Amino acid sequence: MRGMIMSTESQTFTEKFDLLGCIQCGRCTGGCPVTVRTNLNVRRFVYDAYSEEKLEELAKLAEIWDCTACHTCAVRCPKGLKPLEVLIGLRSMLVDSGKVQSTVRNALESVYLEGNPWEKPKATRYDWMEGLDVKLAKPDTPVENLFFVCCTIAYDPRLQVVAKNMVRLLNKAGADYGFMAEGESCCGSEIHTLGEELLFEEIVGENTAFLNDFQARRVITLSPHCFATYKARYPHLNKPVLHYTQLLAELLQQGNLSWGHDLQKKVVFHDPCYLGKQSGVYDEPRRLLKSIKGVELVEFDRSRERSLCCEGGGGKMWVESESKKERLAETRIKDAHNLGAQIVAVACPFCVLTLEDAMKALGYEEEMRVAEMTELLAELA
Amino acid sequence: MKIFVCIKYVPDTSEAVVKVNAEGTAVDSSRFSFDINDADNYAVEESVQIKEKYTGTVTVLSIGPKESEVMIRMAMAKGCDNAVRVEDARIAAFDPLLLAKVLAGAIKGQEFDLVLTGCMAADDGQMATGVALAEELGVAHAAMVKKVEILEGKVKAYRELEGGLMEVVEVALPAVLTIQTGINEPRYAPIRGIREAQKKELKVVGLDDLGVAAGDVDASASRIVVEKLYLPEVVSSAEFIEGEPEQKAEKLASILVKGGLV
Ligand code: SF4
Ligand code: SF4
Repeated sequence: MRGMIMSTESQTFTEKFDLLGCIQCGRCTGGCPVTVRTNLNVRRFVYDAYSEEKLEELAKLAEIWDCTACHTCAVRCPKGLKPLEVLIGLRSMLVDSGKVQSTVRNALESVYLEGNPWEKPKATRYDWMEGLDVKLAKPDTPVENLFFVCCTIAYDPRLQVVAKNMVRLLNKAGADYGFMAEGESCCGSEIHTLGEELLFEEIVGENTAFLNDFQARRVITLSPHCFATYKARYPHLNKPVLHYTQLLAELLQQGNLSWGHDLQKKVVFHDPCYLGKQSGVYDEPRRLLKSIKGVELVEFDRSRERSLCCEGGGGKMWVESESKKERLAETRIKDAHNLGAQIVAVACPFCVLTLEDAMKALGYEEEMRVAEMTELLAELA
Repeated sequence: MKIFVCIKYVPDTSEAVVKVNAEGTAVDSSRFSFDINDADNYAVEESVQIKEKYTGTVTVLSIGPKESEVMIRMAMAKGCDNAVRVEDARIAAFDPLLLAKVLAGAIKGQEFDLVLTGCMAADDGQMATGVALAEELGVAHAAMVKKVEILEGKVKAYRELEGGLMEVVEVALPAVLTIQTGINEPRYAPIRGIREAQKKELKVVGLDDLGVAAGDVDASASRIVVEKLYLPEVVSSAEFIEGEPEQKAEKLASILVKGGLV
């Protein structure tokens, strides 16, 4: 790990982010969803960051915190650059100086001290299991599916239901699984995007050693953020990682899951950026929804790789945008409303929080519902 | 400027379920998270800001267990230069006057201009340690300080009183200031800084090293006896007023009058 730190430190910004590869085509900014409500112009940063003496000034610009790490710019860049990483690099400079917003400071310190960004004690991480018939994983006992519960799902009273429902679905399917009752700690997704690179490196090292110790065939994550992070940023993890929608689709196909009820509703699926754009999983959640009798699955105009970001990622849970313009989550909910959707199905804890807030703010509670996929499925199973 | 900053490692009880141990003598802290006391965090930031402006050194001082070293290293990552951690099972930690004696024992005999500490600890809320420390050291103090200006040989301290009233006092140096939250914006302790702070000196000492007689700071020396710790009983005394709106209003009015509330 030490060697890794040295190599990143000796690289210049230009080398690290391949800035000379940029042809200033503007596709990154052209696709960036937050440009409609903030001053962020990511192409400009890719251009300006080339001069080392400008970096300090750039790091002070408020808009570096507007990026949601949705990865649209990275998907669209014809030269294979990751423009957002330049913004994260600038955030790192600020983090290293200690001068970050108090909400960001608290989240980072909480991960360092308690292994979660929500300032909750380590000891209460598993409280969601209370009263449930959960199978627990032990490092020395082989298991097919080792579950990793996201910090937000473990602690947030609105979202604990995701983990609980997962247990119910797994028990019903008779799946071979195990949850962890100790040692589980933040995957670091948001720590990386908030720019605390060294903390992220420590987390990757510790989690890799911890997860590698289990005799599990694969790791299943509940949040797309953990999923994308384990997949892309844990080079030494010794097992494949799946998102739970992939596992459920597999159980369905094998005939181990079925729905006891039908659902006569118009449903639209919102592709989470970390599941779709970043990890290429588009079909499994749709397959699950289509398997429910009565569901009329409709599509957003902006779906799959063009899906509109809900602004929940990139550390944005701890950074309030100064912009007073319409939130993207509200735009998304309005689009769903125009489609006549009665249910907006999502598969990410952050999307639940942002979209549900938007739905309430718009006063659509009577007409529609934002539902995490496990909520829908457990109700029908 | 030679500054000492006294900090305490406390549980975060803001959202936690608080339970008293079986003996009824202490709070069961097994499910709490611990971190630097909030007001002390502001004291650390203020110390570092003073040092950055006027040069000098900041020494962290804390009475606490080995686990609290993470908090001490974080303070050093923010710019404090060295640290002393006092650990001794004989210290009657529930008594702020005795804690002040121990802290004074760790400072006495060394030169200093300022001692900063939080105005209140989040665990016992006594607000006494800092002020008692000034007494032990024989120096002046200002409590609940919301702004500090360093002058020649003295400080101007802005004390926040009830109702937001500001009292401005000049205090001769050396002095103890107890710092109120909100005086500044505490910085983040980056991992890069924490790694560098591993190289800074952190001394661990006991009462004997400090030359403090155990009999002066143990339970026998305390004038406080913790008799019993319990959660206040929840009593319900809500009364539902039934009836038509006029009747309800009448009943409510008579209750308020009878109770001497109007
Ligand atoms: S899309 Fe890629 S090549 Fe085009 S301006 Fe952005 S970073 Fe440069
Ligand atoms: S990751 Fe998304 S929000 Fe951030 S710069 Fe790229 S397109 Fe814009």
